[in-house]
Amino acid sequence: MNPVQSELATQCITLLAAGMLVIQLLMVVQGMLLTNIRLFALQSLMLAAIAALIAFFHNATHVYWVAGLTLAGKVFFLPWLLNRQVRRIQIEQEIAPLLNSSASMLLCGGFTLLGYIVARPFTTLERLGNNTLGVAITLLLTGFFLMINRRKAISQVLALLTVENGVMLAAVALTTYGMPLVVELGIFFDVMVAVMVLGLLVYRIRETFASMDVSKLSQLKG
Amino acid sequence: MMLLVPILVAPAAAALGCLLARSPRIMAFVNVVAFGTTLALGVDLLRQLQAPPHVVTQWEEFFRADALSVWMVLLISVVSLGSSLYAGRYFQRDLAAGVVTPGRVKEFFVLTPLFTAGMFLVVLANNLGVMWFALEATALSSVLLVALYNRNTSLEAAWKYVILGSLGLALALFGTVFTYAAAIDQKSTALPSFNWSYLMSMAGQLNPRMIKLAFVFVLVGYGTKAGLAPMHTWLPDAHSEAPSPTSAMLSGVSLKVALYALLRFHILTTACLGSGFSRTLLLVFGLGSMCLAAPFILVQTNLKRLLAYSSLEHIGLICVGFGLNSPVTIWGSLLHMGYHALTKPVLFFAAGNIHQTCHTLQMRLIGPGMVKMLPATVVCMGLAAVAATGLPPFGLFFSELTILNGGFAAGHSIVSTIVLLALLGAFCGILYQLTRILLGVPKIARTSDAAPWDGVPAMGLMLGALVVFSVWLPAPLRFVMQRAAGIIGGEAVP
Repeated sequence: MNPVQSELATQCITLLAAGMLVIQLLMVVQGMLLTNIRLFALQSLMLAAIAALIAFFHNATHVYWVAGLTLAGKVFFLPWLLNRQVRRIQIEQEIAPLLNSSASMLLCGGFTLLGYIVARPFTTLERLGNNTLGVAITLLLTGFFLMINRRKAISQVLALLTVENGVMLAAVALTTYGMPLVVELGIFFDVMVAVMVLGLLVYRIRETFASMDVSKLSQLKG
Repeated sequence: MMLLVPILVAPAAAALGCLLARSPRIMAFVNVVAFGTTLALGVDLLRQLQAPPHVVTQWEEFFRADALSVWMVLLISVVSLGSSLYAGRYFQRDLAAGVVTPGRVKEFFVLTPLFTAGMFLVVLANNLGVMWFALEATALSSVLLVALYNRNTSLEAAWKYVILGSLGLALALFGTVFTYAAAIDQKSTALPSFNWSYLMSMAGQLNPRMIKLAFVFVLVGYGTKAGLAPMHTWLPDAHSEAPSPTSAMLSGVSLKVALYALLRFHILTTACLGSGFSRTLLLVFGLGSMCLAAPFILVQTNLKRLLAYSSLEHIGLICVGFGLNSPVTIWGSLLHMGYHALTKPVLFFAAGNIHQTCHTLQMRLIGPGMVKMLPATVVCMGLAAVAATGLPPFGLFFSELTILNGGFAAGHSIVSTIVLLALLGAFCGILYQLTRILLGVPKIARTSDAAPWDGVPAMGLMLGALVVFSVWLPAPLRFVMQRAAGIIGGEAVP
C-alpha cells in the first residue's frame, strides 16, 4: 500500500468513525423510539463501511465477511426485528429519559473528552485509522449512559447494541485486520441470539407488567 | 486422543434429545446420562493428564486442556450431574402443583445441557475470543432459566441479569480485543494466533500498556459475571428467583467458570508485566465482596438470597486466595472451589424442597420447626450449612484455614484479619438464620403434604462426595490440582 492510498484510507475511516459518533450523540437527544432504531441502523451501516474499506485497502478477504455480516445483521435484520416488536406491542413512542436532552448532551461531550484522553497513549501506534479508538471508547461510555438514562426496555436493548458497535469499531481499529474469523462469527451469532432473548423477555415483561418501563422492576431488594 | 470434543457433544446431544422427547421423566433421564458421560470423560481426561506433557490438545490446539481446565471440567460435570438428578423429581412436584407448564419444563431440560456445554467450551477453548462467546452463550442460556417461572420477580431478576451480564461481557470483549491488539507485531503483517498458549509463549513481547488496560476491562467484565462486588447486584436476584437446580448450577459452577476466564487473563497479565498489578486488583475485589456479603447475610429475610450472599462470600474468598498469590493460598483457593461446588448445591436443593412445601422463601413465614416437616432434607441442609460455614470435619474448614494460614505466612496479616472477620460474620449469620427455621417446634400449620425423601439421593451423593474428598484426595486429583496451582502461580508456564 503506497502512502497516498494509506492517507486516503485513514481519512475515510476517520470520517466514518466521526459519523458514528455524531449518530450516537443524536440518539442521546432523540426522544422517539422508531427514529432511534433507524439511527442505530445508520450507525451500523457506517461500521460496515469501515470494515469494507479496511478489507479493500488491505486485501484482507475475511474482513469482507465482517462487513457483510454487519450489513445483514445490524443494518437490516435487527432493526427490522426491533421495529416489528415495537409495532406489535404498540408501546408509546416516547422514550422517557431521566435527564433532559441538554444535560445529557453536555454529559456526553464530557464522555467524548474522556474517551480521547484514555485513547491518547495508544494513538501513536502506526495503524490504519488508529484515531478511531477514541470514538470507540466514547461509544462505550455514552452507551452506558444511554442504558442508565432510558427506562424503556427496548431503548436499553438499543443502548447495549451501540456499546457492541463501539467494541467492533475498536476491534477493526486496533487490530489492523479485525479478529480471527471464528471469533467474529461467534460474536455475531451471540449478538443475534442476545437480541432475540432480550426481545422475548421484553415481550414477557410487557405481558406481565402491562408496561415496558423497567423502573417498575423494583421488587427485589437487599 | 478424541477426548475433548465428546465432552461438548454429549450435553449438546442431550439438548437435542430433550427437544424431541415428550415426557419430563425421559428428559431428566437423558440429562443425567449426558452429565454422567461427561463426568466419566472428565475422569478419563484426568488420567491422561498424569503423563507428560500434561496437556491435551485437539483440532490444532483449538481445544486445549491443561490441569486447570481439567479441574474445571470435573467441577462442572459433578454439579450438573447433581442438579439433573435433583431436577427430575423437583419438576414433577412443580408440575403437580401447577406452578409450571410442561413447555417450561421442557425449556429447562433443553437449556440446561446447553448452559453446561457453554461452560465446557469456556474451559476447553484455547482461543480467548472463543472463550468470550462461550461465556456469553452461558449467560444467554441461563437467563431464560432464571425467567422460567415467569413471575413478576423472576422476570425482574432475569432482566437485571441479562442487562448487567451483557454490559459486563461487552466490557470483557473490549478487554479481549485489547489483549489481541497487544499481541500484534507493528512491523509484520501476519495475523497472530489468538490462542492463550501462544500469547503465554510470547508474553514478554506483548505491549504492556495495552495488557494493563485490557486487564482492567476484563476484570470488570468477567468480574460482573463472577459476581464480584460491586458488580454483584444481579447475583442475589437471579439465584433466588431461578428454579433450585439452576440456582445450584449458577452458584456452584457458573460463577467459578467466569472466575476461571478472569484467571486466564490474570496469568497472562502477570507473565507479561512481571508485577503484582493484576493480583492486587483481584485481592481488592475479593476482599470487597467478602466484606459486603457478611452484613447482608446477617440481616437477610429470604432463604435463597441468604444462600446467594453466602456464594458471594465464598467467591470473594477464592478471589482473595488467588490475589494473595502464594503457592499455599492458591492451593487453598482451588480446594475451596471444589468443596464449595459440592456444598452449595445441597443447600439450594434443600431450599427448593422447603420452597415447594411452604410455598414461600421468606424465612419468617417458613417459621421454626422445619425438621418436623422434612426431616431428611433438614438433616442434609444442616450438614451442608455446617460445612459451608467452615466447620470441621468438612473440607471447607481446611481450605479456609489453608488460605488464612498462607495469608499470615506471606505477611499479609491485615488482609487475613479482614478475611477472618468477614468469615466470622458469615458464620454467625448463616447458622443463626438457619437454626431459627430448621429447629424448634412448628408454629405454622401446613396444608401441602411433605414428600420426605425428595431430592435426598442428589443431596446425599454430594454430601458423601464432600466427606470423602475432605479426608482423602486421590493422588491423580491431587497431582492435577498441584499443577493447576503451578499454572496460576506462574511456575509451570507451558
